[in-house]
Amino acid sequence: MTALAAFGEDGLVDALLMQIAGLLGRLAEHDEEGSIDLRGLPLSASCIADLEKRLGRGEVTAVIEAAGRSTIHETSFPGVWWISHADESGRMIANLIEVALVPMILRADPADIILSQRRLPGCTHVAAHARARAA
Amino acid sequence: MTLSGILQSLDQDAVALYGYARDAAAQSATSIQAIRPESSTLLGFARGIGLQAAVLIMVAGLCWRLAGILLLRRRPQHALSRASWLGRVGGGAAMIFTRSFPRRTFLPRIGVSVGLSTVFHVGFFAILLGGAPHILIIHQLTGLIWPDLPKGVVVMISGLTLAAMLALLARRIAHPVMRLLSTPDDYLSWLAVFLPVLTGILLSGETIASYESLLALHILSVELMMIWLPFGKLMHGVLVFASRGAMGFNFARKGAAT
Amino acid sequence: MTAEETLGDMLARRGFSRRSLLKFAIAMTSSLALPPSAAPAMAANLAKSKRRSVIWLSFQECTGCLETLLRSASPTIESLMFDFISLDYQESLMAAAGAAAERTLREVVAANKGEYLLAIDGSIPAKDGGVYSLTGGRSNLDMLSEIAADAKAVLAIGTCAAYGGIPKAYPNPTGAVGVEDLVSNKPIVNIPGCPPVPEVLSGVLVHFVSFGTLPELDDRKRPLAYFGTTIHDQCYRRPFYDQGKFAKSFDDEGARQGWCLFELGCKGPITHNACGSLKWNGGTSFPIESGHGCLGCSEPDFWDKGGFYTSLAGGSEVGWRNAGVAAAIGVAGGAAAALSARSKVKADKAEPGIEP
Repeated sequence: MTALAAFGEDGLVDALLMQIAGLLGRLAEHDEEGSIDLRGLPLSASCIADLEKRLGRGEVTAVIEAAGRSTIHETSFPGVWWISHADESGRMIANLIEVALVPMILRADPADIILSQRRLPGCTHVAAHARARAA
Repeated sequence: MTLSGILQSLDQDAVALYGYARDAAAQSATSIQAIRPESSTLLGFARGIGLQAAVLIMVAGLCWRLAGILLLRRRPQHALSRASWLGRVGGGAAMIFTRSFPRRTFLPRIGVSVGLSTVFHVGFFAILLGGAPHILIIHQLTGLIWPDLPKGVVVMISGLTLAAMLALLARRIAHPVMRLLSTPDDYLSWLAVFLPVLTGILLSGETIASYESLLALHILSVELMMIWLPFGKLMHGVLVFASRGAMGFNFARKGAAT
Repeated sequence: MTAEETLGDMLARRGFSRRSLLKFAIAMTSSLALPPSAAPAMAANLAKSKRRSVIWLSFQECTGCLETLLRSASPTIESLMFDFISLDYQESLMAAAGAAAERTLREVVAANKGEYLLAIDGSIPAKDGGVYSLTGGRSNLDMLSEIAADAKAVLAIGTCAAYGGIPKAYPNPTGAVGVEDLVSNKPIVNIPGCPPVPEVLSGVLVHFVSFGTLPELDDRKRPLAYFGTTIHDQCYRRPFYDQGKFAKSFDDEGARQGWCLFELGCKGPITHNACGSLKWNGGTSFPIESGHGCLGCSEPDFWDKGGFYTSLAGGSEVGWRNAGVAAAIGVAGGAAAALSARSKVKADKAEPGIEP
């Protein structure tokens, strides 16, 4: 890559980092969450790698298996999360940076919680015995 | 039927199919002229009927004017020639070259405009003959091909050419004598050359409008230039060789200095 | 699946959590060029959406558009959503046939009057009363006008339905036209391509089901999110175009190095589509990456743009024969002019006392 192109790429990464800093400010002062869709930006692979290197890794890593694997890691900046979603065949379908207390995809959905509440009593020993007697 | 028998018959089918496909391809290749490009868009028109019409009008016009000039009566020369036939031809060729440079005595007055004109002419032909897409279209029309200039170089030359053309137009409008002498032919010829260079540089920068619109405008402006070429002052591009050559030929005949 | 079941219920029944639906919505907002913050609202809307009837009519087509959409389905939420949202009537796929199929069509139209989406693939032959494409004895022309009348919106899938496609190529013996030439009083979305990129259809359907509106369209009625840029702007070979490095033939050194295919007829600069970035077969490749120039298959009349291997810098052949005829005409005209000038000079000379 020419020096000029590298200069341009560095500028892009810096602009993104400053945008993330702005989002962190909004989170801190107004509890406003924000995210940046990396697939919507003209970023080369080296740009993304550079961004990942600069943001670093934090304390939290999470893996979600829901219609394919999604990986989330907190960067070395608490509140800044890097999220990659893949479908069942492993193809990446979304790549984003989320600035939040906890990424929205990690939170349990209220509708799912209601379903859990209905399902849980069925796991007890009592329910199992009742099913065995009925069978 | 055995496996090898099945494979053999499949093989024969494949050979037959291949032969059919090859014949069909050969047939379609010869009927390329029958394919009609779409004319529902401006670009389609420019690349299709527009291009055909412009080339044919230009060819017909060039032949008309050249035939019209070459078949005129020439005054009979009764004096003996002072140079051999080769000397006369050499004189003609030399004058084509030497007349491109102004005589020293006139340089203070005309140096700037000759300089600008040189920048324009050299630049224009560098773009026309060095730009990759231009070589491509000439290759498609005639089969000739030669190496191209780097795109960035052509763009820079285009900028210089545009600047020179604007300066020359400014001189034509500002200088009282030039203004008096200028006819609509002069301005139309200037425009017919300016538009292709301008649309060309915009197209290479892919700026101001969509690629498709810029390409259509560029091709149409070139077609305008091609159609106007045989009928106005632009014809000097062809006639300059004939007129300088004829003059040099006659001067050599007379034994005059050139 | 009852008529009142929502998409959220159906997914839950199939073992997909709301979290998977949110993940799908995040992917969709990225695909539709919407901000990621729109994902929770999209997921919530999708979850509570009820079945939306889709009638799919296939007219003068090769079935490539339907095949590409079917083949694209991997066992994801996307294909389940297709199951849920569609597909009340589609002749190639449904079990019913003949008179039973006709009855089904009438029932679906009546039951969903004003609410169903009408998806069309294939062009509509309009010449001679539309007799060149009939289904069950009825012309496609009549079927379109009848069924589009009560549709909420019409989706023209593929270049044939959108703009006429290959049947419309010169000399267009059947008088083929696209949907937009026949339907004027309904919202139309064109999803061109030969075939179209499958993700575009899912994006349009998701947008419609989530927000109740069609996505923003360009001046050719194509979703801007997918057709807003040209292949030229998305192409990974663009640096070679900018540097002037072109492949001159399909097996020369330039082609092997992956140089730009402009000189081999690539129509990328004038073609709007998403395949340069979304690619085909789940992101595997697209024509340029496989070494062949873009055909421009999502643009109208791409079959008649003068040949797939004629570059954009070139155009129609002029031909030496035609040039020869033009030259002959020119010479004849010039000779006539010269001869009349010569005879005028001679006539002047013949007059006594007049200088030649």
